[in-house]
Amino acid sequence: MRVPLGAIAGARSGDKGGDANLGVWVRTDAQYAWLVGELTVARLKELLPEAGEVDRHELPNLRALNFVLHGLLGEGVASSTRFDPQAKALGEWLRSRHVDLPEDLL
Amino acid sequence: MIRIGNASGFYGDRFAAVREMLEGGDLHVLTGDYLAELTMLILGRDRMKDANLGYARTFLRQLEDALGLALERGVKIVSNAGGLNPAGLAQAIDKLGLQAKIAYVTGDDLRPRFPEALTANAYLGAWGIAECLKAGADVVVTGRVTDASLVVGPAAAHFGWDRDEWDKLAGATVAGHVLECGTQATGGNYAFFTEIDATRPGFPIAEVEADGSALITKHDGTGGAVTVDTVTAQLLYEIGAPAYLGPDVTSHFDTIQLEDHPRGVRISGTKGSPPPETLKVCLNHLGGFRNSTTFVLCGLDVDRKAELVRRQLEDAIGADGLTWTLARTDHDDADTEETASALLHATIKTADPKRAKAFSRAGIELALASYPGFHVTAPPGDGTPYGVYKAAYVGRHEVRHQAVLPDGEVVEV
Repeated sequence: MRVPLGAIAGARSGDKGGDANLGVWVRTDAQYAWLVGELTVARLKELLPEAGEVDRHELPNLRALNFVLHGLLGEGVASSTRFDPQAKALGEWLRSRHVDLPEDLL
Repeated sequence: MIRIGNASGFYGDRFAAVREMLEGGDLHVLTGDYLAELTMLILGRDRMKDANLGYARTFLRQLEDALGLALERGVKIVSNAGGLNPAGLAQAIDKLGLQAKIAYVTGDDLRPRFPEALTANAYLGAWGIAECLKAGADVVVTGRVTDASLVVGPAAAHFGWDRDEWDKLAGATVAGHVLECGTQATGGNYAFFTEIDATRPGFPIAEVEADGSALITKHDGTGGAVTVDTVTAQLLYEIGAPAYLGPDVTSHFDTIQLEDHPRGVRISGTKGSPPPETLKVCLNHLGGFRNSTTFVLCGLDVDRKAELVRRQLEDAIGADGLTWTLARTDHDDADTEETASALLHATIKTADPKRAKAFSRAGIELALASYPGFHVTAPPGDGTPYGVYKAAYVGRHEVRHQAVLPDGEVVEV
């Protein structure tokens, strides 16, 4: 079924200099198994086309993925001309994007 | 067990939190984080105006209100509110006249080494704070230490940890990371906010054990929530690879175990390993001047309206340094004026303050000469300086981390 990612996933995002970080987590092991397969770097870039170079880190103990979006904020929060210069709402943007989710994970 | 609270996640956080945390229940130590990359720039500009400033002034006012209470209750205060001038802050606290034993930590300021920077501060670790507390300080103020050090220092001093007890230090670092952003650990800015009462979250507390594990909780009767999910959210904030590098220890975030507890969330299992040989340095340079405005484009021909005003502004002051973004917040055939409107953001970044000012004049002069329905969300100001942040790295032995104890003795850390 087609639902916003945020139907099952939480997220928190923020800034480190010119990079943004975006942590995404889910609440069951089955959801995490799906998330790891679904939310690849390529898929993240489809969902967030503004992303450039991206690293993904897996934290299975937290059922979480952490993405580092390099250079998204230019030279850092004070100089960025981005609408959200500290990437505070990047996670909420991602959660609002629609994905195909197996019904039993909802 | 040592019970460490937090009352601030940034310079500007809830003023009443210091008093709330002292009155709300038992604590051994109350910490507050006032420094972010951007804050260092703000303090750097304060210091340019007055060399006696450069610290977080709200912290001083909070202590004016509540230091007496802290002393009465035997709660130690540990904060990085010293910013660029911990000695100045320590002196100002002393002038409050409460006879508190005040210590401070210095050595993070590396401007002589980075003379072109407005601010240059190494991220120091926890051992300076620990020295101050072992010497009996009631209040410890620091400059740029890592946020987690505000928790690691008190725990290390309390339990007498050695500097190579990596797992314990990593456990306390994780607790510190959870606390450092205040109510972001207790349901503030939380993705599943509809599931809790997020109206006025209480500030977080870590009950750190001798092995570095911790219970994250908050005072009884405060709002928000401490659950595995609220703590997970904060653990994911501003991190990179799972091996989280710090000045005292590398903490392995992929080993953290979280578990619900009747009073909050237990954090255990965190593995630590030696820290890198270098310390990170936060550098802020003055980048130039910026100014911005937002044109509201209502109704039809939004793209053409944007093109027109852009052409007009660029003809007036030149295109150099201008950035444009058109947010299509407008809807067709909308039944409110606001939802019929798109927003065109224009920003200028320039080395020349006169040009930043000319931007607003040129924008205003278009008021009767541009697209139909011309208005802006707020008139542009004169422009403000902006900073450019950079990280640098220096060898850990090139930094003189010092603790200045309440009796004035200086200890090399």
